[in-house]
Amino acid sequence: MTISEPLSLKNKASNIGFIFFGLIGILPFVAAFVYALLYSFGLVGAANSGFTTEFWISTWQSGAFIKSLVYSTVVAGTSIFISVSIALWLTLKFRKELEHPILAFAMYLPLAIPGIVAAFFTFQLLAKAGFFSRIAYAFGWITEARQFPDLVNDPYAIGIIATFISIVTPFLLLLFLNVYKNERVDELAQLSQSLGANKQQTVWRVSLPVVLNKTWTLIGLYFIFLLGAYEVPLILGQESPQMLSVLIIREIKQYDLSRLSEGYVVAVIYTVIVTTAAVLLFSRKNDVKHEG
Amino acid sequence: MSSMKANWKFFFLAALVILVVFPFAYLLLLSMASEWRFPELWPAYFGMRNWEQVVSSETGLISSFLVSTGISFSVATMSTFIGFFISRGIAYHPYKRTITLLTYFPYILAPVVFAACLSYFFLKLGLFGKPVGVFVAQFMVAFPYALIFFSSFWGEKTKSYEELVATLGGNQLQAFRKVLLPIAKNMLIICFFQTFLISWFEYGLTSIIGVGKVQTLTIKVFLFIKESNFYYGALSCCLLILPPVLLLYINKRYVFNKLI
Repeated sequence: MTISEPLSLKNKASNIGFIFFGLIGILPFVAAFVYALLYSFGLVGAANSGFTTEFWISTWQSGAFIKSLVYSTVVAGTSIFISVSIALWLTLKFRKELEHPILAFAMYLPLAIPGIVAAFFTFQLLAKAGFFSRIAYAFGWITEARQFPDLVNDPYAIGIIATFISIVTPFLLLLFLNVYKNERVDELAQLSQSLGANKQQTVWRVSLPVVLNKTWTLIGLYFIFLLGAYEVPLILGQESPQMLSVLIIREIKQYDLSRLSEGYVVAVIYTVIVTTAAVLLFSRKNDVKHEG
Repeated sequence: MSSMKANWKFFFLAALVILVVFPFAYLLLLSMASEWRFPELWPAYFGMRNWEQVVSSETGLISSFLVSTGISFSVATMSTFIGFFISRGIAYHPYKRTITLLTYFPYILAPVVFAACLSYFFLKLGLFGKPVGVFVAQFMVAFPYALIFFSSFWGEKTKSYEELVATLGGNQLQAFRKVLLPIAKNMLIICFFQTFLISWFEYGLTSIIGVGKVQTLTIKVFLFIKESNFYYGALSCCLLILPPVLLLYINKRYVFNKLI
């Protein structure tokens, strides 16, 4: 009796916990997805009158989604690639110097800057009348603001990529420095050199593989976050093509009710892509470990 | 040769520090400027006027700061404590891996898209355009984060502690109060600040659920950008950056978030 009582209490508490988890953790996600799916097929929504595949066909034919998907993938991929490269280079070249207290603190400072502030700052620097344009004027390189190249709201997403890099690189640098220390990569590198490997071989075959192997899940996670980024492309992007989140919100929030369903089509496809990516990332790999 | 190399490294790292500090200095400068027109490199006015106006006038920045603080504090408190208790059930569950994977879904989805698809339900529940609606929506993102965060806390060690408490005649409540919570204290603090920052930095979801009526600081920054009032925009940015910088100063781990 004395044993079964706490056990049943335990089960009760655990069940309440699971119900809560289901209500807050799972139900909203499922509800959001089902609602978007029904809307995309015309089954719900003020302007819709019944099942139709019309919105899926028109979304496909307009090409806006495919353009946006390719654009977002290229922007996110480029930003991640450059950020990983810079962070790895800094880790391998300066890891000892970065242990200095001032530098160690400075490396953390960019984490205090949210996306919307980073985008605002990039705009202030790179816009036609921005800080860099003023410097170019002071040096006599330009005589009018409009001569300054398009670096924000531009077709090559230079402003967006620059902002993404400035957000992601500090995080990756700290992550790589952590892994470098925890995995004792220095000792492994020394061992490989004592076994006859040269510097180049040690970097490419020991240090980099160890660091990347330990962090690729988080790099993948970051890629997914950038793919769905909103405020940075909203401030620094152009009219067309737009990044996925901006496109979805533009379609869903506009007054033309007939276009609303197309917005939900894109939201459904985006959700499927992202959840598939999450399954691929996390079902094969160990859980992301946190330092306690 | 080696001194040249050392010099190169020194200058490079000094440039890196300047690069890191520059955004903070520039935003502070911009927040104290006005009438800074192209092509001037220095503003025509530089002083405390904007900051004084924020305290005295109707810019609404002080109320935005308070709204943001209130929402973020509530989101952080609730998601940390509820996340801590519920993560235990998940960690000891036979289908732990599947449940953890499910936890990632709402967290990994762009919050703004999540909010747009949920807005119908918020409207029906009367939560649209209200601080409590923004709180609920942000909690839906911060809570999965807390679950993932605490998943590494529970394991054989905590299980054996709980069993020890039970063997010594203690109940579940005592196990939590006397053993588990004290052990988890550091993690609870870190999770609190990180969920605080998730909420503090949030823009897209807040703009959808708050429909412009719940004006957190991030919403204010965007409004000022739209009005081309860059001086107040920079000032709001400074207010937005202040808490995380303070947290960094206290403990770097409060801000370095391995899951974001």
